[in-house]
Amino acid sequence: MSVNAWIVVGDHPTIGNLIAVARSLGGQVTAVVAGPRSVAETAAAGGVDRVVWFGAPGEAPVEAYATAVAEAIAADPGVVLGGRHSSERVLLGAVAARLQAPVLTGGHSVSAEGGEVIVAHSVFGGIAEKIVAVSGPVALVLDGGPVPPASAATPVEEVAASPLSMRVIETKMSAFEQVDLGAAPRVVGIGRGLKAQGDLVMIETFARAAKAEVACTRPLAEGLNWLGKDRYIGISGQHIAPQLYFAIGISGQLQHMAGVRGAETIVAINSDPDAPVFKDADYGLVGDLYEIVPAITGALS
Amino acid sequence: MRIVVAYKWASNPQEAVVGVDGSVDWSRARPGISEYDLVAVELARQLAEATGGELIGLTAGAKGVGAPIACKAALSRGLDRAVIVEDDSLEGAGTTELAAVLAGAVRHIGDVDLVVTGDSSVDVGAKMVPTVLAGQLGWAAVAEVTAVSGQPGTLRVERTVPGGVQILEISGPAVLAASVDAAEARLPGMRDVLAAGKKPVEHLEIAALDVPARGAVVTVKGASRPDLKARKAQIFDATDPAAAATELVTALRGSGAL
Repeated sequence: MSVNAWIVVGDHPTIGNLIAVARSLGGQVTAVVAGPRSVAETAAAGGVDRVVWFGAPGEAPVEAYATAVAEAIAADPGVVLGGRHSSERVLLGAVAARLQAPVLTGGHSVSAEGGEVIVAHSVFGGIAEKIVAVSGPVALVLDGGPVPPASAATPVEEVAASPLSMRVIETKMSAFEQVDLGAAPRVVGIGRGLKAQGDLVMIETFARAAKAEVACTRPLAEGLNWLGKDRYIGISGQHIAPQLYFAIGISGQLQHMAGVRGAETIVAINSDPDAPVFKDADYGLVGDLYEIVPAITGALS
Repeated sequence: MRIVVAYKWASNPQEAVVGVDGSVDWSRARPGISEYDLVAVELARQLAEATGGELIGLTAGAKGVGAPIACKAALSRGLDRAVIVEDDSLEGAGTTELAAVLAGAVRHIGDVDLVVTGDSSVDVGAKMVPTVLAGQLGWAAVAEVTAVSGQPGTLRVERTVPGGVQILEISGPAVLAASVDAAEARLPGMRDVLAAGKKPVEHLEIAALDVPARGAVVTVKGASRPDLKARKAQIFDATDPAAAATELVTALRGSGAL
């Protein structure tokens, strides 16, 4: 028995994985878009059956359309999928409340069986896995991903909506350069083993030699603010599956390693031989990263 | 201005013991109010101080979330009073159910202008209770909030967006999820700790909150340990960093990783 799926979309067009999961459920796939026309068009060309769009948002942020999105879906509840960006979580939250539907996060396999939706998902910060069967509407937060081009585009249906009373007054861009870690075939991750922000230069030199992007554990991006928040890898940060991941000065706690579980090859460098990271790595070097990293940079040049 | 800060009394999964069958044993873990919730309390407290507003703590969960130790932990952080929904039926409650209960409590408190929450809970970490709570109330919601100012009707909210920050103006009541770096939680002083014992705590009965019925049935089919890819775990002796580096690069080239 196939299951109809809805995808709630804000101003991020990276809904590729959501479309793939929705399609796999076998029923009709409808994207409800509360962002700019370009995002509605990306969804329309991404292999969905219907696109409902609330028109140009003007000064209204995506979040202003949460109630409208919920009402659009309430007419025909089913499985509702949303991405992990904060505005997408607001849209999905409104839908879950409207349907009194359970919310599941950390899902990595979704299927439909006998009218139920079966979800295998990570729980409690990644310490365990659960498989559940849901009978009734369910809201799933899933990883995004680029939208591959589809054969034909479906028309974008523009509908009227009364947004909540919210407006964007100002947007200020930061000094940090944005990065798409998900697209990088090689990533160098740095953790608390790095003693000073200035030492990032050594890491960046290594990353250039390895043709890799630089990423980090959560404390370096959020607490220390040494790197932009889009560079931290972890259960609540970026989820990546590069061909090669270097974990440098990273102890290997589950909250971080859960973000690179899909990496083909993992190399760990840490001065503590008992660090958990070595069990989760293919290759490990126990020693001082301040000597080992320049040595590998040299070996690559 | 009436501000509610919703916090969670929960344990860190690092302290839980996971069996080979995927069962999670929390008995040896010690619950507390997480650092992210304390950031939310501080953000809300600063706004209350700036506007002369009232700051009310709110939590919901199974037995224990309303124990004196838990209430004191919250009240010592500058709250004027606390409202607790403590019921064993909330053991293992999902996001939507907890949000429905919290919404019922917010409606019961009445005339609430703003609800502030942490970024995510330490145990579940879904980042969804604040957004579902807003949905339950029919209010605006914004996450990754780094600053808030203004009065009800003209609330100014600063939030993180990819590559920067954005300032929003919100006219009605809202639920704001504080970014983890929105504020630095001040440590409670002796006066705060002593005053905590005297602040009012109201316990609400779940039956009085008019919580809507669940929209779906969830059945657990199985559990397991995390299914992490089997790794080679090959260690190179790095006594001579240059030699180890060469060995590593050779191995990576050999396996096609480089």
